[in-house]
Amino acid sequence: MINKEKFKYPFYVMVHPFDGFYEIRHRGKGSVFVALLLVLLFGLSFSINRRYASFVVNYVNPLSVDSRAEIAGIFFAVLLLAVSNWSITCLMEGEGRFKDILTVIGYSLLPMVLTLIPATILSWFVASSEEGLYYLIITIATIFTVILVVIGIMTIHNYTFGKTIATLFLSFIALLIIIFIILLLIYLLQQVFMFFQSLYTEVILKI
Amino acid sequence: MKRIKIWLIPAIILMLLDCVPVLAASSVPYHTYNYDYWENIYYTPAAYIPSGNISGVNIGIGMFSNPQDIFVAEDGNVYVADTGNNRIVVFDSNMRLKRIIDSFENEGKEDTFSSPHGVFVTADNKLYVADTSNLRVVVLNEDGSLLKLISNPTSEVLASDFVFSPLKVVADYSGRVYVIAKNIFQGIMAFDDNGNFTGFTGTINVTISTYEKIWRRLSTKRQREKQIQFIPTEFTGLDIDADGFVYATNIDSNGRQSVRKLNPKGQDVIKKAARNVRGEASLSGDLFWRLQGDYSGASRIVDVVYRGYGIYSILDTTRGRIFTYDDEGNLLYIFGGRGSQEGTFKNPVAIEAVDDKILVLDAYRGEIMTFTATRYGSLINRAVCLRYEGDEASAVELWKQVLELDSNFELAYVGIGKSLLASGDNKKAMEYFKLGMDREYYSIAYKRYRDDILEDNLGYILTAIVVLTILKIVVSQARKANAGKAERRL
Repeated sequence: MINKEKFKYPFYVMVHPFDGFYEIRHRGKGSVFVALLLVLLFGLSFSINRRYASFVVNYVNPLSVDSRAEIAGIFFAVLLLAVSNWSITCLMEGEGRFKDILTVIGYSLLPMVLTLIPATILSWFVASSEEGLYYLIITIATIFTVILVVIGIMTIHNYTFGKTIATLFLSFIALLIIIFIILLLIYLLQQVFMFFQSLYTEVILKI
Repeated sequence: MKRIKIWLIPAIILMLLDCVPVLAASSVPYHTYNYDYWENIYYTPAAYIPSGNISGVNIGIGMFSNPQDIFVAEDGNVYVADTGNNRIVVFDSNMRLKRIIDSFENEGKEDTFSSPHGVFVTADNKLYVADTSNLRVVVLNEDGSLLKLISNPTSEVLASDFVFSPLKVVADYSGRVYVIAKNIFQGIMAFDDNGNFTGFTGTINVTISTYEKIWRRLSTKRQREKQIQFIPTEFTGLDIDADGFVYATNIDSNGRQSVRKLNPKGQDVIKKAARNVRGEASLSGDLFWRLQGDYSGASRIVDVVYRGYGIYSILDTTRGRIFTYDDEGNLLYIFGGRGSQEGTFKNPVAIEAVDDKILVLDAYRGEIMTFTATRYGSLINRAVCLRYEGDEASAVELWKQVLELDSNFELAYVGIGKSLLASGDNKKAMEYFKLGMDREYYSIAYKRYRDDILEDNLGYILTAIVVLTILKIVVSQARKANAGKAERRL
C-alpha cells in the first residue's frame, strides 16, 4: 500500500528522472494516488498563486479566480493528456501503461508544486524592478516540468527522443479530436433530450 | 394639532419643489458610464447635462440646413458652417446672432460659398472656410474681405485627375494650413502660408493581418480583383492646440485608435494609458459594441475638440456619445446618446467646447446642443487641469470630492496616492495606488516603505543574524564532541 517510500519517491524522480521513471515502469515504484495528489496540490498552488501573488506581478482579476473550477480543469486536462497520449502510444509500440502515463504527468508537476507558493510569497517582497526574480523562478520550474514530462514519456515507452516529440505532437492532435467528439456528443445528447422533452410536452398537452 | 398640520403641508410642498431640479439633473436621457482597469463598465454620475438647444429658427434666420461644422474662436464667437444654406453663421459668446457671412468680394466681383463643410478661425480672427463644392479653401479677414484662396494643389504625389474638395480645415499659429479632403486616403493635406501644397501629414499605415496575407496569397488574380482593397482609413475631424499640434480623428473599425495628435513633422505623439489590463488602453470610444443591428459596430469618431490642459473630447456618431480623455490617455467621462429626446442626437457631426460648456452640432436636426458640466464633471476637469500644471497637491482636495460622488474613479485614487507619497505616508499611498490600479507608483511607494522598515529594524536583524550564526557554531561543535564521545565509547 501507500507508505513513506512512495511519498518520497517523486523527489528522487525529480533529481534522477531516467532511473526514477524506469523504476516506475518496471519495478512498480510509482503510485497513481501520489500522482493525483500532486495534481491536486498543483491545482491548489496554481490558484493560490493567481489569487495571492503581489499586486506588482499579478495581472489576474481577483474576481475571476475560482479555485474549484481551476482544480477541476487541471484534473480534466491531465486526464485528457494521459488518455490522448495513451491512445497514441498504444499504436506506436509504447511500452507504458495508462497508469504509468498518469504517474509521469503527476510526478513531473512536483517542481511547480514546490515553487509556486514560495514564488507567491517572494512576490510580496519585490518592487517592479525586481520582478524578474519572480518570473525567473516560475519559468525555471515550468521548463523543469516540461523536461521531466518529455524524459518520463520517453523512458516509460522506451522511445528515442525524436519519437517522443512526434508522439507528443500526435497526442496533442488526438486531444483536439477527443474534445471535438466530447462536444459533438454533448450536442447530440442535448438534441435527444430535447426530442423527448418535446414529446413529453406534446403528450401532456394532448391528454 | 390642526394648526401644525396646516403648517406642514406647504413645508412638504416646498421640500418637493426643492427636489425637482435635483431630480431633473440626475436623470439625463443617456447612459453615463466609464470603464475601469479591468475594462468592466461601471455607471457614473453625469459629467455633463443638457442645457438647451440653439436652432436657426429660434434665432430668426431660418432653419439650418445640414450644418456640418462648428467652431468657437478665441474671443468666444461661435461660427457655424450652415452647409445646405451656403453660409457661415456667427454667434457671440452668449449665443446671440452676430452676423451671417454668405458672400465676399473676389477680384471686384461678389463671390459666394457652395456647401461649405468646414470652418476655422485663428487667434487673430482670420476665417478659414472649406468651400467644398467650389473646390477651394477661402480665407477671409476679420472685416470679411478676402485674404487668399487655396485651390488646385499641384504636386507629383497627386493624381492628374485629382479633384480638391476640402471638408475640414485648421491653421496653426505660423499660417500652415491642414485640410482633410474628400476621397483622400494618404493623410491630411498640408499647405504653407502662401497656399502651396507641401505634402501629406499623419499618414495612417495599413495593417494587414497574417490571415489576410495568406488568404490573398491563395486566391487567384481574378479573385483578388473582387476582394476589398486595403486602403488606409480616412480622417474625419480636426482641431489644433496653441502649440501647433493637430488633433485628428479617423474611423477605426477595430476600435483601437481613433484620435491622433500630430506634431509638426506629422508623427503621432498621442499618449495611451498604460493603466489598463491589456497594457495599453484604446483611444477609440467604446470598448464593446453590438456586431449587428441598430447602433452596432465600433464607435465612429467624427470630430475632436482640444479643450486645453491636455484634455480632449471626441464625438462618436454611431451611438452619439462623447468621450473625454486627459493628456495621459485616461478616459475621464462618457456622456451623450442618440434618440429624439432633448439632449440626444440624431446625427451629431461636430463638437466644440467653451469654458465648462460643450457644444455639439446635429446635422439632421439643424441644432446646436449645449451641455453644461455638473459638479462631478467640473471637479474632474479642474483636478486634471491642476495635475497638468504640476500642482498635484491642490488637486487632492478635488479628487477627494470626486470620490465622494464616484468611489470607482481610479484616477482620483492615483492622484491622492501621489500626494501621500510626496508627504511620506508610504503605506497609505500603497493602498491608494492599489485602488487606482497603478503598479508603477505602487512599486515606488512599496520600495520606500520597505526601505523604512529595514532601516528601523536593521539593529534587530543584524543581532538576529549574529546570534543565529553563533548558535549554529555551538550546536555543530557540540555534535562533533558527542560523536567523538560515542566513537571513544565504541
